[in-house]
Amino acid sequence: MGALAAGIAIGLAALGAGVGNGLIVGRTVEGIARQPELRGPLMGTMFVGVALVEAVPILAVVIAFMVM
Amino acid sequence: MMSNFDSMITRQRKWMLYWLAILVLCAGFLPYTRIFLGLILGSSISLYNLWLLQYKSEKLGRTIAAGEKPRTGLGTFSRMAAAVLAVVVAIRFDAYFHLYAVIFGIVSSYLIMTIDIIVYQFVIRNRKED
Repeated sequence: MGALAAGIAIGLAALGAGVGNGLIVGRTVEGIARQPELRGPLMGTMFVGVALVEAVPILAVVIAFMVM
Repeated sequence: MMSNFDSMITRQRKWMLYWLAILVLCAGFLPYTRIFLGLILGSSISLYNLWLLQYKSEKLGRTIAAGEKPRTGLGTFSRMAAAVLAVVVAIRFDAYFHLYAVIFGIVSSYLIMTIDIIVYQFVIRNRKED
């Protein structure tokens, strides 16, 4: 049951993070492709967004590994 | 002059290295060696994760700005694997590393990033008001 719980925890966290990261990176790519001179600020916003979104699945992986 | 993004990533790396230096001093001189060793392990992995994210996002930005198709992702799987590696080491060598300290260390770069953003938002706002 522990392995099942770990799998569900990692899967759900990765699902949410995947959707979030996809939205962030997709919009940033669109923005940079339209205005390449805005690369700096857009990259900064994307970097912070991706980092904060990714904190949750990384913690979920760690916790899942602990309960397994 | 450094761009907004470049100065931000340099600042975050600098704060992370300061944090690691403080932890090394604490592990050397304070009695809670197990906790501080765990924090050092977690923070080292956290610094690696931060560097990897910075490197990958800069590379992605350059590729897109040059009009090429990006061939690599952002390295999410590598970062997760690094975090799991830290936890495996902490579980295997339980006598030397405190597990919860390792987890706090892994999260430390995100905390530093958040504090950095909040502080610099205030600094920028105060500059605009002046």
